[in-house]
Amino acid sequence: MTWLTPLAARTVAMVALAAAVLVIIAYLLKMRRRRFEVPFSSLWKRVLEQRDANSLWKQLRRLLSLLLTLAIVGLIVVAVSAPTLGATDHRARNVVILLDTSASMRAVDGDPERPRLTRFDRAKERALTLIDGMGGGDRAMIMRVDAQTTPLSRFTSDAALLRKALDGVTPVDTGADLPRALSAAADALRGRPNPMIVIVSDGAYSELAKGQVRWTAPEVAAPPTGAPPPGAPPTGPADPEAEAGAAFADAELAAVDLSGIDVHYLGVGSRAENVGIVAFNVRRYIANKASYEVFIEVQNFGAEPARRQLTLYNGETPIEVKPLELAPGERRREIYRQLPGGESQLRAALRPVDGPGGTDPFPLDDEAWALLPARKKQHVLLVTNDNLYLEGAMLVYDNIEVFKATPAEYDAAPAAAVVNITTGKPFDAVVFDDHTPAVLPPPPSNVLLFHPDGDNSPFAIRGVLPRPRITELAEDHPVMRWLTMSDVNFDQANVFAIDRTKGEVALAKSVRDPIAVARRDGGRKLIGLGWSLAGTDLMLRVAFPLLLVNSLDWFAGDDADLVTTYPTGQRLRIPLDGLTGLREVTVVDPTGKRGQAPVVDGAVTLVAHRVGVHQLIAYPPSTGAPTAGAPAPETPPLATLEVATNLASTTESQIEPAPDLALGGQTLAAPPAFAVSARRDLWLYVVLAVIALLALEWITYHRRITV
Amino acid sequence: MAGAAATSSPAVATSGASRAADRSELFDERFLRTVEHLHMVSRKVFAGNLRAERRTRKVGSGIEFADHRTYARGDDFRYIDWNLYGRLDRLLLRLFEEEEDLHIYLLIDCSDSMAIGTPPKLHYAMKVGAALSYVGLANLDRVAIVPFASRLLGRLPPSRGKNRIFRVFEFLRGCEIGGQTDVAAAMTQFVAQHKRRGLAVLISDFYDPRGFEEGINTLRYNKFEPFVLQVYDQREAAPNLAGDLALVDCETGELREVTVSKSLLEAYTREHERYCKELESFCTARAVPFFRTHTGVPFDELVLRIFRAGGFLR
Repeated sequence: MTWLTPLAARTVAMVALAAAVLVIIAYLLKMRRRRFEVPFSSLWKRVLEQRDANSLWKQLRRLLSLLLTLAIVGLIVVAVSAPTLGATDHRARNVVILLDTSASMRAVDGDPERPRLTRFDRAKERALTLIDGMGGGDRAMIMRVDAQTTPLSRFTSDAALLRKALDGVTPVDTGADLPRALSAAADALRGRPNPMIVIVSDGAYSELAKGQVRWTAPEVAAPPTGAPPPGAPPTGPADPEAEAGAAFADAELAAVDLSGIDVHYLGVGSRAENVGIVAFNVRRYIANKASYEVFIEVQNFGAEPARRQLTLYNGETPIEVKPLELAPGERRREIYRQLPGGESQLRAALRPVDGPGGTDPFPLDDEAWALLPARKKQHVLLVTNDNLYLEGAMLVYDNIEVFKATPAEYDAAPAAAVVNITTGKPFDAVVFDDHTPAVLPPPPSNVLLFHPDGDNSPFAIRGVLPRPRITELAEDHPVMRWLTMSDVNFDQANVFAIDRTKGEVALAKSVRDPIAVARRDGGRKLIGLGWSLAGTDLMLRVAFPLLLVNSLDWFAGDDADLVTTYPTGQRLRIPLDGLTGLREVTVVDPTGKRGQAPVVDGAVTLVAHRVGVHQLIAYPPSTGAPTAGAPAPETPPLATLEVATNLASTTESQIEPAPDLALGGQTLAAPPAFAVSARRDLWLYVVLAVIALLALEWITYHRRITV
Repeated sequence: MAGAAATSSPAVATSGASRAADRSELFDERFLRTVEHLHMVSRKVFAGNLRAERRTRKVGSGIEFADHRTYARGDDFRYIDWNLYGRLDRLLLRLFEEEEDLHIYLLIDCSDSMAIGTPPKLHYAMKVGAALSYVGLANLDRVAIVPFASRLLGRLPPSRGKNRIFRVFEFLRGCEIGGQTDVAAAMTQFVAQHKRRGLAVLISDFYDPRGFEEGINTLRYNKFEPFVLQVYDQREAAPNLAGDLALVDCETGELREVTVSKSLLEAYTREHERYCKELESFCTARAVPFFRTHTGVPFDELVLRIFRAGGFLR
């Protein structure tokens, strides 16, 4: 009999002893009896005196009860210790099954009976076969391997539990971090007898990942002797760099120590032909932000020529269609220039073409997304009494068209003033020069106010600061990027009272007093600068036109640092476009699944597992709450950002299965057959015995046999 | 491990003294109608036998001849039967039955043990006592109520006439209750205080650790006519108990730890029955009228049973 409990025998014995002592103490303790009033206890006395002749039997009955209880406690301890019959096989293995759930496992290999069978389906079948072939004493743990490594079970010999752990597992759209998985498996196997790792995969790993393995213990491997120690697994070919002693530290520190672990490989996959988009990006022209150019890189990973049709969509509208004929291994770069604006979402799609070389077993890399903020020439209304500095600065910016109105004209008919008579649409932005209107332009018009003042100010003002100096700039905010304003002189500036619940953020401070502020208000943005242009030398500085351009770009949602696509499986830091004070945002992935992602230093930290467009929804932070949880669904969001994620991994797109996998120079063999041993868990029977004894104790107690 | 399980009637589980103390609702209009009915019935049962006067065995100055006895010196010459002297040549004295009222003493046990039961045995005993009192009063007998425990707890002096029943009620409502049962001591005190002999109706549960014999004998030896009525509660005879219990004697406070099993309960029931039989045998052997009842029997039914058995007011 074997005891499978993870507890040491000594610990189990101590627990059993403690329980037995407790039971005996409970029997020795004087029982607290329920009191009953009787009219004539002499009658009871007479009865009891007659029965005292049986006192020895009474003592024995209590002893029987004690023994029965001790037996129950003992059996419970035995059941917890997981007794097992027939598992004394010292060849029993401790196996970690590394199941590859990376993107390449979504490749459809198929077979005549099941044409839609994916590589991952096959891997699960092989893993199940492996589990079914385990001996009674073998114990296994399953880990899924993608960009992260996640254990799906604990070490167990329960085949049903392991099979259940495999249910519902699906591959994700990321690469596989093999070194991390091997490290986790090695850690899990540390201290366990007969350790074994079985990698169930198509072998789509980078050469770098496959090289980060060490088959000898560190203290043995440190001197580059070149000869493996006796008894160690055979090592691969000698590394010339290691022999030379160069770059020893980095390579060895990064390597996963697999010494003493039996590592095997179960390969899956059959088809190799694949054409995929390995790079897709888009950028606006600096000079003309109304147009953009697109970069697409397509590679044929197969051994045969391939024919595809590459289509570029703007939204749902195809804007470029191009047939491609790719030689084996050919990588084709396509650049589309001077594309017009329109929808912000761009999509590139590869479609198989009828005929030879037109099929594709791996559709995941046949589509790629990129997001470009919609950009058009902004129509800006300048409400001013002839400020040449302001008008001149705006003239230098080609991406805007400036219209002008006096404060009196605006105040006379605000609703009409904010509508561009040439287009019949509201102005994209309205700039107020030293004038605070009673009626602000309604959304979607963005508003920039120089020196907002009085009760009509959209930003609360708590005072006036004479001769301020800007000591602090919100450099991470798009409006203040690249600005230097410490040398700018002001005669005075209004100090704003920042209301963080409205999402207001200070752009510039004089010591602790915010004198420039910005916020999102519904579907538009507002900026308030606390100074008047008549009382500052800002117009003489380089920062002035830059401030205007930054502000108008922020209004347009055009961030020069915008990354239009992100790779899956990597930890991404996505700037939140001036949103501050948030602790987390809601993430909706392309499949509609919602989750939360933390916000650190104004950027969302996110690991995307799906290819497509993710939505990041920012809700206002809870007032005074230390941790802002997800607000109620009816709360209107502050902003919704979109992030495009693509596979963009040549390693994953290279779906050609590897019949053999070599790690650290050592080729892994298929797992051997497990030693067959019968095993039967006894805990269930022990529990049944406990239940039977409990029933017996209950019956004997209530029949007054053991009391 | 099975825990102690016990069930019992609330009367046993809770102190009965406080419940028995409330006697304000004991004698209501309905009770009065019931005892009036009992009186009417009793007249039929004893038709022709009941009179206002009672002949006692006491020989005295009545007008009805009773017996002769030999003359002794000092006897009144006026009662010498000269006719018999002429025929028998012996001086015999004529004896006459002295006519006097019958004294009925209702001795009601008011000890703590009587306070137990549902309803409390004391209430039952008082109702029976009150009913018997009414019948006695209506028959122009002199009825006295004497509650007792280990001593006499008071006394309602002998009185007669139906209209006195309300004093009886008032007395029973307000009399002192509680204490340990000591029938012998109480009867000794009773006979010492009551020289006028009569019918002594002893109503009690007779749960006396010192025994009931001496108390009854004390009445007998002092020329009283004892009439024994034992009252018990059915739950006392067959308690519904189980498990590990601490039994507390309501009078002595004596604690007795028992684990009540079915066999123990059966043994107790047998012991209780045996105890009652002992009392009955004792009374029967000494020609003392004896009735045993439990509180489940309606008191008027009991009184009628007593009348029909002819053990009362013979």
